[in-house]
Amino acid sequence: MQLFSCPFCGPRDETEFHFGAEAGNVRPEPAASTSAEAWADYLHFETNPKGPSREIWVHTTCGEFFLMERDTVTHEVKGSQSLRRGEA
Amino acid sequence: MAEREQFWSAPPEWETAEITRAGFSARPVLGLGQVLVSGQFDAARETLAPGAPEAGLWSVIEGDRYLVRIARDRALLVTSQPLAIQSGWHAQGFATSPADDGWSVFELGGEGLRDVIAEAVSADLDRGSPSAAVQFAGTTALLYRTAENRARLHLERAVAAYVWQWLETRKG
Repeated sequence: MQLFSCPFCGPRDETEFHFGAEAGNVRPEPAASTSAEAWADYLHFETNPKGPSREIWVHTTCGEFFLMERDTVTHEVKGSQSLRRGEA
Repeated sequence: MAEREQFWSAPPEWETAEITRAGFSARPVLGLGQVLVSGQFDAARETLAPGAPEAGLWSVIEGDRYLVRIARDRALLVTSQPLAIQSGWHAQGFATSPADDGWSVFELGGEGLRDVIAEAVSADLDRGSPSAAVQFAGTTALLYRTAENRARLHLERAVAAYVWQWLETRKG
């Protein structure tokens, strides 16, 4: 069992969380002038880093989306941060 | 076509259902008022239930009107009787959704309570949490206490029969 920390609820079991996306994958705008390649890159191509990683997760019981920094090799969680305006 | 109703075990008669074992007991709590509040928590408390206490995970709550915290911006207002609150948006910055029958409530008690809870919940109860929402036997529930050895569990009505059966089959 691994503990993740929800910015609101505190440490909870990993089974209460769900991976959302890699952080920093910004939707290309405006849509009208976005190329098919740029759109496909946004949708399908992940950086998938080996080591330190910044990811968006959701705590399913409270619904909070947040930023989590963790290491994909050691599974060490460096910390989590709220995405609320002014707190991120 | 198969009678699909027969695939499922019959739900208990909630008016008479109870579990009584040495060290553990459970019973449904019927007739509570429950209103889901979404939006600005402090404004909702000030408007709907001024001074009402707030329940987090495994915290002990007293009184007949309190707010069970689910998330930053969501809580369940619990009262001893259903309230005549309209569904919809309030100008103070929150929405109300009456859910008296949307959540089933069980009261669990006894000296073996902690052992049964430990089978269902992996969160550190002694550490507590602002949110009473937790994974309970694989489904999301709200868990808090009304006394040292007496807990309340709010479950979405659809999973109540499953969790009741789960409780019936515990050894503790």
